[in-house]
Amino acid sequence: MMKQLFPIRHVLGYIASLVLSAAALAVIYLDLSRAANLVILAVTAIIQASLQLFLFMHIGESADTKKELYLNIAYALFVGLVTIFGTLFIFVWGWYA
Amino acid sequence: MKIDASKPLEYSTEENSNKIFGFWVFLGAEIALFATLFTVYFVLVDRFASGPNGSELFEIGPVLLETFLLLTSSFTIGLAIHAMRHGYKKAMMFFFGITLLMGLGFLAIEITEFFTYVHEGATLQTSAFLSSLFVLLGTHGAHVTFGFLWGTAILIQIKRHGINPATANKSFIFSLYWHFLDVVWIFIFSYVYLKGLM
Repeated sequence: MMKQLFPIRHVLGYIASLVLSAAALAVIYLDLSRAANLVILAVTAIIQASLQLFLFMHIGESADTKKELYLNIAYALFVGLVTIFGTLFIFVWGWYA
Repeated sequence: MKIDASKPLEYSTEENSNKIFGFWVFLGAEIALFATLFTVYFVLVDRFASGPNGSELFEIGPVLLETFLLLTSSFTIGLAIHAMRHGYKKAMMFFFGITLLMGLGFLAIEITEFFTYVHEGATLQTSAFLSSLFVLLGTHGAHVTFGFLWGTAILIQIKRHGINPATANKSFIFSLYWHFLDVVWIFIFSYVYLKGLM
């Protein structure tokens, strides 16, 4: 019963997300360079988001619409990233100045 | 209604499959929405005028608690869906209820945080940084609030009607929404709070 209620994959995914959150704390408690901090934040956040998407949200399981789902999410991420980095490029990183 | 017994209940009719696919499309739009709010925040983060900046305002304690609650609730809603697929109604309702309670706990901490910020003189009008911060956090918090009400309504339906293709479909779609809110929070945790404090 316990094994059926607590599938090992979910438990491991949960532990992994807690560990990754704790690892991200390195940016405020360890005295690392700014570049190293930004890499840590990007890596821990992206792995955690992927855990949710693939493990908990089962994005890969609906066989008949799998391709469309991946395309839809990939396109949304593309639009989001272009919005964020395009704006940073113009307003913050000084291309406009 | 044609039921395909080879698929989990929540996918078992064409309507159910379409609803799940449609919800993924909606989540794509939500990704774009939060991307614009993050964009505004990143552009305005250094414009704190005479108000506090992130490192003066943020406290890591409550934020860690919020993160823990949302991560755990994302885990328990996953367990609820897993129990649902095995037909364990009681276990499913237990995990579902725990998820909603942790969502409520998250909201309580976030609202307390907002009160603390305003009490310290950091309001929506104080600076561009704080306007963008409150809009980003507030939009996420409003999603959690809506999710709590929505989830409660689904939980009542499961209690009344049991696990059937309709309630299973609603529950599964709710789980997608809840996991998505957790993903957004991970980015708020990393790029608002931790980056603000580093």
